[in-house]
Amino acid sequence: MADAPCLRFLPEDASAPLQAGETILAHAVRAGIPILSPCGGEGRCGKCRVTVAGDTKGGDDPGALSQEELRAGVRLACRCVPVSGKVTVTVLPGSRPARLSAYIEGRETAEDEPFVPLHLVPGKGSPLGVALDLGTSTLAGALIDLRDGTVLARASSDNPQMVFGEDLISRIVFGEESPDGFTLLRRLLRQGVDKVISGLIESSPVAGEIVEVTAAGNTVISHILYGLSPAPLRRPPHRPVLKEYPAKSGKELGIASAPSARWRIFPSIGGFVGGDIVAGILASGMHREEAVSLLFDVGTNGEVALGNREFRIACSSSAGPAFEGGEVACGMRACAGAIDSVRIDRETLAAGWTVIGGGKPAGVCGSGILDLCAELFRAGLVDRAGRFVPRAGAPFRDTGRGKAYLVARADESAAGAEIVLAAPDLKSVLRTKAALCAAADALLAAVGLYRADVERVFIAGGFGNFLDLRSALTLGLFPPFPLRKFIPLGNASLAGAIGALRNRKRWEEAAALAPATSHHDLSSDPDFMEFYQRALFIPHTDEETYRRCLSPESA
Amino acid sequence: MTVAFPKQAFPGRVLEVTLPAAEGGTPVIVGGQNALPLAPEGEKHNPVAVGMEVGTGSGEIPPSLAHALGGREKDPVSLARACEDEWGASFIFLSLSGCHPDNGSQTVAMGAKLARDVLAAVRCPVIVGGCGDEEIDAKLFPAVAEAAPRPVFLSYADEKNYRLVGGAALAYGHGVVSWSPIDINMAKQINLLLSDIGVPPERILIDPLTGGLGYGLEYTYSIVERIRLAGLSGDAMLARPVLCHLGDAWKAREAVDASEPSWGDPDVRGPRWEEATGWACLAAGADLLVCRHPGNAALLRGTSWR
Amino acid sequence: MALTALEIYKLLPKTNCKECGLPTCLAFAMQMAAGKAGIEKCPPASSEAKERLGAASAPPLPRVTVGTGDGAVVLGDEVVLFRHEKTFHHPTAIAASVSDTLGEEALVERLRRITALSFERVGQTISVDMAAVRCDSSDPARFARVAAAALSGAGKPLLLQGPASALAAAVKEVGASRPLLCPPPEELEDGAKLAASAGLPLVARARGLDALEAALAKARAAGAKEIVADPMPEDAGRAVADSICIRTLAIAHRAREVAYPTAFDLGGGFPNPFAAACLLVPKYASLVVLDTADPAELLPILTLRQNIFTDPQRPIQVEPGIYAIGKATPSSPVLITTNFSLTYFTVRSDIEASRTPAHLLIAECDGMSVLTAWAAGKFTAESVAKILLDGGIGGQVEHRTLILPGMVARLSGRIEELSRWRVLVGPQESSALPSYLRRLPPAAFLPANG
Repeated sequence: MADAPCLRFLPEDASAPLQAGETILAHAVRAGIPILSPCGGEGRCGKCRVTVAGDTKGGDDPGALSQEELRAGVRLACRCVPVSGKVTVTVLPGSRPARLSAYIEGRETAEDEPFVPLHLVPGKGSPLGVALDLGTSTLAGALIDLRDGTVLARASSDNPQMVFGEDLISRIVFGEESPDGFTLLRRLLRQGVDKVISGLIESSPVAGEIVEVTAAGNTVISHILYGLSPAPLRRPPHRPVLKEYPAKSGKELGIASAPSARWRIFPSIGGFVGGDIVAGILASGMHREEAVSLLFDVGTNGEVALGNREFRIACSSSAGPAFEGGEVACGMRACAGAIDSVRIDRETLAAGWTVIGGGKPAGVCGSGILDLCAELFRAGLVDRAGRFVPRAGAPFRDTGRGKAYLVARADESAAGAEIVLAAPDLKSVLRTKAALCAAADALLAAVGLYRADVERVFIAGGFGNFLDLRSALTLGLFPPFPLRKFIPLGNASLAGAIGALRNRKRWEEAAALAPATSHHDLSSDPDFMEFYQRALFIPHTDEETYRRCLSPESA
Repeated sequence: MTVAFPKQAFPGRVLEVTLPAAEGGTPVIVGGQNALPLAPEGEKHNPVAVGMEVGTGSGEIPPSLAHALGGREKDPVSLARACEDEWGASFIFLSLSGCHPDNGSQTVAMGAKLARDVLAAVRCPVIVGGCGDEEIDAKLFPAVAEAAPRPVFLSYADEKNYRLVGGAALAYGHGVVSWSPIDINMAKQINLLLSDIGVPPERILIDPLTGGLGYGLEYTYSIVERIRLAGLSGDAMLARPVLCHLGDAWKAREAVDASEPSWGDPDVRGPRWEEATGWACLAAGADLLVCRHPGNAALLRGTSWR
Repeated sequence: MALTALEIYKLLPKTNCKECGLPTCLAFAMQMAAGKAGIEKCPPASSEAKERLGAASAPPLPRVTVGTGDGAVVLGDEVVLFRHEKTFHHPTAIAASVSDTLGEEALVERLRRITALSFERVGQTISVDMAAVRCDSSDPARFARVAAAALSGAGKPLLLQGPASALAAAVKEVGASRPLLCPPPEELEDGAKLAASAGLPLVARARGLDALEAALAKARAAGAKEIVADPMPEDAGRAVADSICIRTLAIAHRAREVAYPTAFDLGGGFPNPFAAACLLVPKYASLVVLDTADPAELLPILTLRQNIFTDPQRPIQVEPGIYAIGKATPSSPVLITTNFSLTYFTVRSDIEASRTPAHLLIAECDGMSVLTAWAAGKFTAESVAKILLDGGIGGQVEHRTLILPGMVARLSGRIEELSRWRVLVGPQESSALPSYLRRLPPAAFLPANG
């Protein structure tokens, strides 16, 4: 069979038979080769770069690749189709998903509670529980000793569904349009979950059997995990098939790593707003307080919840993944090699930065992008409308993607290529921040409250812990609240899932609070576009209020 | 019992803006009010100013309009003079549309010279509009700003070109018309951007983009009304006079089509179409109207209305 | 002031019982605050809540119906002063006058001309709504006869303007059609009694607001139930001022004594009636009477009314279709985007900046931007292919190549399959269009083969 046409992937040295007409990306998915594809194979993010040797066509769009790259055989895996014979494909280092170490810490505001486990099943060794946060981009888990509630281990992994798009809509479209699409998405999710759980078991100091699992995920992920089609969520009225998911065993869900455990999936609120937000609310404790709070979950999709113990309302914003490294050419996740903070010298107008783990930078992560944009604005290199302002001596470049600001020179960067922020990247950041800010304003308007009525603002999600709030408000990522009202929560979904494992009452609260929290569909809110347009400005069209919030006396 | 008008006390007041005239001419003063338009008991304030558009392009004009202009549309200078002397326009909106490659391809130098000639021919205030081509306007505005022998308003500055237009206005002492596409937030944003580069507020007029009757007028109506309400409620960036171009009314098929006898005489219908657009803009809160039909300059002149 | 959703919510049972059909009490409160649901949909609500919320939702301006059946005209029943706050519900009724002194033939001709004042615009029929029959003859029998002729000839609800005796005679003939009775100020009491006994709506007229308030009180005392107020202004300026005053008192101040729909007679030598009508349509008049039946004047007025009385909460949209930008030729590029106006303006201005003449196709997407429309399934390969095949662009260009927004690159294959057009994936951002279009090889738009 030496002559059978096939693809050989390097450096894994894995082979896959050639399927006529399919892209390299499709072959890679089948062969289990991880390739970054935040846009879901649409040919627009330019991140699935590979070099090819052999007979191929396509994937050489001049927009995404430079002439030198094309000459060097670089192609986009999502557009390049192998034609015949043996084709060798090397996945470029920048196109491999990065390992994550952050994102698994999270804290609950209502800590130090009595340990009241869900219920104990006698088994071999210690009874163990697993709390899971099933995110759009990242799966994170914690292993709990159910005898005393101790956290034994934490682990995380990329969501393998990422190859079919960084955003949920792309994945639903993939599921609808490909034969067995949802089955494939479900299989990838199970693989990811198995990987997290085996990681937890490996690093656990205590041996035992997993008897309880609590899992918090958005509605789409929850549907896929439960074996339901999330397709109805895409279209108005965006109604989930199920909002509550009666407990099943791991075996019933097809999860090999915890087959006999009882799996409790956090109930969904409505639309895309799922159990992850329920768990986040649980962790924040806002549902137990008289004070009105806002909760932002800044992730691949932004979600916002508003309320107190009397009422709650939540929505998902159309915020893109700009702060998770997607949709921004120089963007990357918060891992080693990522620039996580930026300062621009007011004299030379050059950027200075810090890199996670030290060393040369490979890209810029969410908090770095936020800092970078805020600094560009403060230094007068970007105007309120998000356009670059020409200034003598400023390190601007003309690139194939328009004007760009040079963050790191080629000789300063890990990949030996310039790290730049281009005009479309800036627009993408503006859109993301506007959608998040506008979502909060739309919730306030929907119930008839003012910003001043909000007493606390919880920030959950990957960069909640280390984002620079001043940069966030300089840019207008959130509505203008005084700095003292902000409380970072880290991974609140995971914290909520842990809380529910440790205390039965918390699980009951979660079950009760989901149906009593209203879902607000922003796509049918006529005011949303208005709020969005207001927020598409730096920091905001209502800039007076932001200035007040950033003044020293209100900090 | 007497019925008292429910006078609303607004915290804000529209900024008064003066469009300067040549010596011997009458400047146009608009704004200054702290009341909604047409309110019966509002403070005495400046009436609506009605100006006329003088085009320079080679584009066709609807017959009903051409009849009224009496053939003078071919010569911008004499047309401008007629607008001022015969038809009572309070100001001239000189559109340098002829510099557009699709509309006559006049050079920038010719455009600037035309502006100078018109400014010499009339005493009333003049607003000079670009041709709509980004690259040409980038040269045209600085040239006009330099050539103009007296202060004018440059129309318009948008999110893309505000540095250039605002800079040219600042360098030569002109005013700026700030433009946004029927969106109250973008209207505020362009004013914030102009204020960031130092254009003084009393030298700015807001052009919210006016849809013609039947073709988006309702959006303009509400945006103008909201700009005015926001300004009166204390938003300084929006407490500025609003200018509405009625010219789009002439793009409506209903305004010019002579093939539908059931629609009535186009010589009546065309000007009425523009006039109705004007009344709606006035009811919404416009401070300056730019019309093309000579009869409407007289009809819309605001004295008896506010 | 209207209650906010949260204020309403606090009055509700907060049990999330779903009897109203909504998942939560808060969702129901939000519907109520938006005026889309009433407290009657909440059976478990306390009687206190029902009373407070019932009163809060009563319209500040009463509703008066003239005519019957499909052609009936509703006056009043508005809730806001500015259309952007919600919407204006009931368009200003336009009446054309008919004098009872017209001879047989002239009457028929006049009625024919009034009936002909009907136009098709953007899928709607816009027409004059009522005929106003004026008693100029002082002859009740003649007035009644002309009213009957007007009713059958024009087929529209009637406004009857005349002395009480003439009105009484006409009511015998056409009372069943629910005409609006309009007696002169000095005969208001008799007219009001007639309206009360026949159960018909009435116009109370008096010059100036003080006199009008007294007249309205008199009409109420005489038993009239459905009343329209006419302050009899002498010119357009006064008319608009009075109209604004009455509506502001009704809505912002809940002044019940003057909270009525308004009528303005702009005929009979009223100065500048066209201007007055154009100002009164946006500024709150419920009914205006015009003597003109010239379509050249009524088409603009009716179009203005259609504009002002559309729902402002619909996103700003442009008409779907083919837009030529610059001097587009059969070999100019074809681009497509959605009908959200901001999207359209942005794309259009970026194409203009490229100085490449082009055809821009606008797809009907409920005013959504490209990505939103795609997510909602409104901008699909099928809908784009349909536009290419059925939208007429095939007749305007010789090539068969479409430039698709980069955001929806994934649709390209399917569009090519369905339409047989070649699809080029354009840039992600409209701002990159100028450089993109300038770089395009002209060969891309050569005539299609075969």
